[in-house]
Amino acid sequence: MIHKILRKPQAVIGLAMMLTVFAVMVFAPAFAPNDPEKINIMQKFAEPSEQYPLGTDDMGRCIASRLIYGARVSMSIALPTIAAIAVISVLLATVCAYIGGIVDRLFVIVSDIFMALPPFLVAMTLVGLFESKALSIVISIAAAMWVWNAQVVRTYVIREKNKPYIITCQMSGCSQMRIIIRHIIPNIFPHLLVLYSTGLSGVIIMISSYAFLGLGLETGTAEWGAMLVGANKLVFSHPELIVYPGLCILFAAAGFNLFGEALRDICDPKEN
Amino acid sequence: MIKRILSRLLVLAVVLFGVTLLTFFYTSLSTVDAAQALAVRRFTRPTAEQVTQVRHELGLDQPLAKQYVAWLSKAVSGEFGNSYNTGKPIINELSASLQPTLKLASMALLFTALLSIPLGVWSASGKGGIADKSIYLFGIVCMSVPNYWIGFMLMLAFAVNIPLFSIMGADDLKDFILPALAVAIPTSAANIRVFRSSLLDGYNSDFVMYARARGISEIKIAGMVSRYALPPLVTLLGQSFGFTIAGSAMIEFVFSIPGIGSMLVTALGSRDTVTINACVLVIAVIFVAVNFLAEVINAVLDPKKHTKERVYDT
Repeated sequence: MIHKILRKPQAVIGLAMMLTVFAVMVFAPAFAPNDPEKINIMQKFAEPSEQYPLGTDDMGRCIASRLIYGARVSMSIALPTIAAIAVISVLLATVCAYIGGIVDRLFVIVSDIFMALPPFLVAMTLVGLFESKALSIVISIAAAMWVWNAQVVRTYVIREKNKPYIITCQMSGCSQMRIIIRHIIPNIFPHLLVLYSTGLSGVIIMISSYAFLGLGLETGTAEWGAMLVGANKLVFSHPELIVYPGLCILFAAAGFNLFGEALRDICDPKEN
Repeated sequence: MIKRILSRLLVLAVVLFGVTLLTFFYTSLSTVDAAQALAVRRFTRPTAEQVTQVRHELGLDQPLAKQYVAWLSKAVSGEFGNSYNTGKPIINELSASLQPTLKLASMALLFTALLSIPLGVWSASGKGGIADKSIYLFGIVCMSVPNYWIGFMLMLAFAVNIPLFSIMGADDLKDFILPALAVAIPTSAANIRVFRSSLLDGYNSDFVMYARARGISEIKIAGMVSRYALPPLVTLLGQSFGFTIAGSAMIEFVFSIPGIGSMLVTALGSRDTVTINACVLVIAVIFVAVNFLAEVINAVLDPKKHTKERVYDT
């Protein structure tokens, strides 16, 4: 598996981009030249200089530092979110699909109801859920997205559980728990990796959309979407301030998409 | 087929009922107290008594189940009550702001179809070639950026640098071209992929080989294959219409369109729960209705396939 990934240029590029984002997230204080939230009205819209590599914004905050810290803010919300989505969707879908029968039918009906609301709508409605704003975002996106992922996981499990090796396991007396944990989940794992890797890029975009709408985060947080709040006023004077944050989102999200899609080709060579 | 559609309608009724429950449940979950929020707006520093009074006035001191029944019995007839914020009937604002959003979503749907179908066909017919690879790469890039940023980029390109369009306003249809494109580009990126793979799937299936063996012309075969490949795309297009309305707030912010998305965000900001409920319910009903329409179209396109759309466990 790892060998196959390393031989596919697209996967390697995606992986490298992912690692870059992780590195920037962890070492943000070391990379950033200034404090991302320090307001300096005297230095409004400063030209790029040695002190401010990309200049400053309308509050005199260092743009380069804000972009770098943006990786930290986005990823520190996106990673727990995708983890929560993964745990809920795998747990529910695997158990329901494996048990089958009435439980599975019930699962389908309930997910039909949950899927009658577009995910972004659910996430917006739930955003003020907790005192902690980051926690609210994690929970609300997870609550919006779990069902869409669970649907996909369910089809993987159903495809897998009817394969002969699972029937052999059942005949040789494996417990259901053991079949699920030791056989089904490891065998659909690559597919899950694809699902959640591409899903993570979706979550990154969703978080930035939240921030852009001014829902969720504290005002002034160095987040890519938040940097675009009120950007309509800048289209004529400082268009570069609109371009930078988008490029950062593109870099982060594209890394996970490239890797995920490459992995999909490796898992199902038939599809291409 | 008609029987099939009728039975789906029955399921739809159950789903819609579930939607009203979820909508009501979601908005009541918030830790922010709507009565408190309104009292603060009215009295700046409300006493506990004033808050209780406001709560009673809004009917928020009733048990949740009772509130739900009261709300539902009115909402069914399109009566959403008055906004906590403005005191005016919600239905007026709702119908006014739904109009531009529906225009935006319809135009976006049109653009999405116009982009996904030809590019999907091009990609599938030149499989593995330069066109296919460039479309693939372009798709990944478009899927990795938020649509509101694409909106800004289009605005910079076609309203600022080359002033073809105005940067704001929602008066005539021309104002909706850039916003609709911004929505359509990332949506098409995902659709092209699906359409391409279902087209390839079609070309590799037995009926095409049989048709070729019988000497049927390639054009006719292309027609057969696209009929085979369309249903997944129709489903996605239907879904994207609802997604566009639900996520319209971002694009509306960028292009200053007074739509339902902005209305919802304003209501969320001030915890105007009746307005939130009304917006969410209306969007959800549109979403469900359009998805159902897509299902009907698919049933017409391919009656046989439709009967086993879901992998049921046997």
